[in-house]
Amino acid sequence: MRATVFLLPLALLPIFANEFWLVHIFSRALILGIIALSLTFLATYLGVVSFAQATMAGIAGYVLAYFGPNTVDVGHELPFAAAIPIALLMSVLSGAVVGLIARRSQGIYAIMITLAIAVAFFYFTRQNYSFFNGWTGFSGLRSPQIGDTALRTPVVFYLLCLGVAALLLAMVSGFVRSPMGLTIQAVRDARRRVQAIGIPLTTPIVSAYAFAGFIAGSGGILNVWYQERISSFSVGLGPIVDILTISVIGGLRHPSGAFIGAVAFVLLDTFAIDFVDRERFNTLIGVTLLIIVLLAPRGLRGLWDDTVARFGNARDGGENTGKSQQST
Amino acid sequence: MPVNTINGEPYALDVQGVGRRFGEFWAIEDVTLKVRPGERRAILGPNGAGKTTLFNVITGDFPASSGTIRMFGLDVTTAPVEKRIAHGLRRTYQHALLFDGLTVAETLFLAVCGVAGGWRKILPLRRDDENRDRAIELAHRAGLGDQIDHQVELLSHGQRRQLEIGLALAEDPTLLLLDEPAAGLSPAERPKLAELLRTLPDSVAVVLIEHDMDIALQTSQSVTVLHNGRMLAEGTPQDVMKDADVHRVYVGGSHGH
Repeated sequence: MRATVFLLPLALLPIFANEFWLVHIFSRALILGIIALSLTFLATYLGVVSFAQATMAGIAGYVLAYFGPNTVDVGHELPFAAAIPIALLMSVLSGAVVGLIARRSQGIYAIMITLAIAVAFFYFTRQNYSFFNGWTGFSGLRSPQIGDTALRTPVVFYLLCLGVAALLLAMVSGFVRSPMGLTIQAVRDARRRVQAIGIPLTTPIVSAYAFAGFIAGSGGILNVWYQERISSFSVGLGPIVDILTISVIGGLRHPSGAFIGAVAFVLLDTFAIDFVDRERFNTLIGVTLLIIVLLAPRGLRGLWDDTVARFGNARDGGENTGKSQQST
Repeated sequence: MPVNTINGEPYALDVQGVGRRFGEFWAIEDVTLKVRPGERRAILGPNGAGKTTLFNVITGDFPASSGTIRMFGLDVTTAPVEKRIAHGLRRTYQHALLFDGLTVAETLFLAVCGVAGGWRKILPLRRDDENRDRAIELAHRAGLGDQIDHQVELLSHGQRRQLEIGLALAEDPTLLLLDEPAAGLSPAERPKLAELLRTLPDSVAVVLIEHDMDIALQTSQSVTVLHNGRMLAEGTPQDVMKDADVHRVYVGGSHGH
């Protein structure tokens, strides 16, 4: 019911919003939000900050580019019905491998290991031409057609992104209430205790990373259809930091924070240039993000929760005051 | 040749010459401990004697640097923690180590699943899940029946200790290691804990580290005293309390009981 309240206005957005807002603001925010959701999921439920989420998204994107239609004459074209599952499978596997490597690490060490993996993959894409087409990457990437309708049509693409985001949020919500999801949260709270009740650590940690890989891979596929290209820039330090920024300003304590952070990030990224000159708009973005982090240490989602709670308390207090006044 | 059985039955816990070294420092050295099935054994010793290190080595949290550990005849010296748990070993921690983000029911559910299986399922937990029913039964047994849906983070200190014991009682343990279960409990809470320990099934062997001598002596049939990582004395509570060395290093010191 609560989800419907949020979902319905978003589903009706195409009636009011033009193509620019639908595609370049909301669809882009949803895609970045999905990739950031994979990081927020790991941070919220496993207690680990991973810098490799843009990499997992990039792996799905590269696989789809390699096996899908492109204009660089690299790869083997397969039907989308095969290419999409392969792309998702590879992102899940990449997540599992990252989890396996980082399973004993927490805090700054997990960050360093995942960052090292991400940077290694970035250079690997630049140096390997037979699969990644080097620095140039893939261009001319098309999305599937359903009948006469291309999925990249603005309204259809927006609704697709919205649907995937809603589905992934629902999957996260269900997964964290499963025995495996509870085990992952237990690992976050007390690793030694998890072992002391008979559960080995590797399986829940690798499962969490693999599930995060699935989420990131879903975002990576949509990102390829949105950008219509992919190159090593897509898995470089820029996107890695963007995803971290989105997760942090959105709030790492609830999955929906990823999408709130993504909307804020995309709005800033798109419109900051309208307020200051081209040379300084990145500074404005940085200062604004700094202010958000300082004023809302738990992110925008935390700020929202605090505001709602304060409003609720004020209302309850007002009612109580009213009652007490009546009684006197 | 060490004796590995008693009346033809293997010991619940048979620790032979176990040591644990951290760099050049031996936290415990040449410790030998034989606990019969169903026996209640107290481990005493001043701070730094190596009691908790001994527990950590027995559970596999720290690998032993020397010696062997057998549980019910099975050599578990190099076995991972999970294998020892599957073989009936459970423990509590000196400082409650719990899943603060979960509820009491979810915590005990995982403890049941850890032994009985089922923690790998990825579909949302059903309310009629058999393991969940067992977890709720366990919560009642640990005296937390009214706190089933409470978040662990919000439990009082005493309730956290009860939950620690609830975790250790999941799925019929055969060997319990309790590390100062009464630590930090109020005088009103201590008798409840002692009662809970007294009502443990006779088949369960219990090894207890406890500074509260009343609880230790009331609930134990035998006592092992450690000092500076080595065994100082062993015997019935009465014999050990009369031991001159024990009196010098432990009872005669700061302890007032």
